[in-house]
Amino acid sequence: MESLDSAIALVGYGIAALGPGIGIGLIAGNAVQAMARQPEAAGLVRTNMILGIAFAEALALIGFVLFFLV
Amino acid sequence: MDQLILAATSCDTVNEVVCAPADPVEFFEFARTPILMGLAGLIVVVSLVVAFARPKVVPGRFQMIMESLVDIPRNLGKDVIGHGAEKFYPLLVSLFLFILVGNAFEVTPFINFPITSRMAVSGSLALLVWFVFVVTGVAKQGVGYFGHLLWPPGIPVAIKPVVGIIEFVSVLIIRPFSLAVRLFANLVAGHTMLSLLLGSAVWFLIAGQGVGGRLIGLAWGTFGIAIYVFEILVAFLQAYVFTLLTSVYIGSSLHPEH
Repeated sequence: MESLDSAIALVGYGIAALGPGIGIGLIAGNAVQAMARQPEAAGLVRTNMILGIAFAEALALIGFVLFFLV
Repeated sequence: MDQLILAATSCDTVNEVVCAPADPVEFFEFARTPILMGLAGLIVVVSLVVAFARPKVVPGRFQMIMESLVDIPRNLGKDVIGHGAEKFYPLLVSLFLFILVGNAFEVTPFINFPITSRMAVSGSLALLVWFVFVVTGVAKQGVGYFGHLLWPPGIPVAIKPVVGIIEFVSVLIIRPFSLAVRLFANLVAGHTMLSLLLGSAVWFLIAGQGVGGRLIGLAWGTFGIAIYVFEILVAFLQAYVFTLLTSVYIGSSLHPEH
């Protein structure tokens, strides 16, 4: 076979996207619950949810970029 | 096909799916990225001037749109930074509008190229934010800023060295790096998906074999248009997230948590 580098990089990205996927799901799920419990705090919860999603997604995107570096 | 893409020289859909980008402008050797950066800056400045040159108390339509656009980063600064945020409104508004217009270039019909998908643009914006929040911290708290940063008060003496290293890497290295990579990778991913999906849709429609081959192009085209709409959302969201994180970092420099 030719070099397996790209294939391994692709599998690596796939594994790296597992954690943030679950993490973002947890963040969004808890945010929706919080907004349902206290609708007055929806704005505050929404801002913090976006913040948390950005942090979790950054890890998946670092994996995505590293795929192209290989 | 050539006429649909600005700044492309030749698109030979039978042999070459990818259109060759135009030669750099000969005079100053500019490629398309600096030209588009200048265009984005020009669009932001001109819209702000046109909207707010002669502001009316009862705003016209354009002034209302620009007011709501400018209010987004200002309210972010006010909520997140809190006290002392007024000095940073120009920075936040400029960052937000420039990144918004730069990202929106991915979905404008003749310029399907987001300038923030070049690491130079995204990286220098993150570098600017890093500079701002470190200098703000030093200006506000003197050299003790680094002391408070690396060793937040209340850490047991035994683990101080470890916490110092962790905090150093987390605040001074990971923050700007992740800021740059988040913006960059989101836009690169979107641009790649759009190029692949819509490019292959056109390729199949033009050069597919038989009716089935051409219909696959339609499927790809539909999916491509769905991703196109999603990219509009991503453009706004990434600008918002960048500005939000900038405010968070500036806030943590101005008012360190106790």
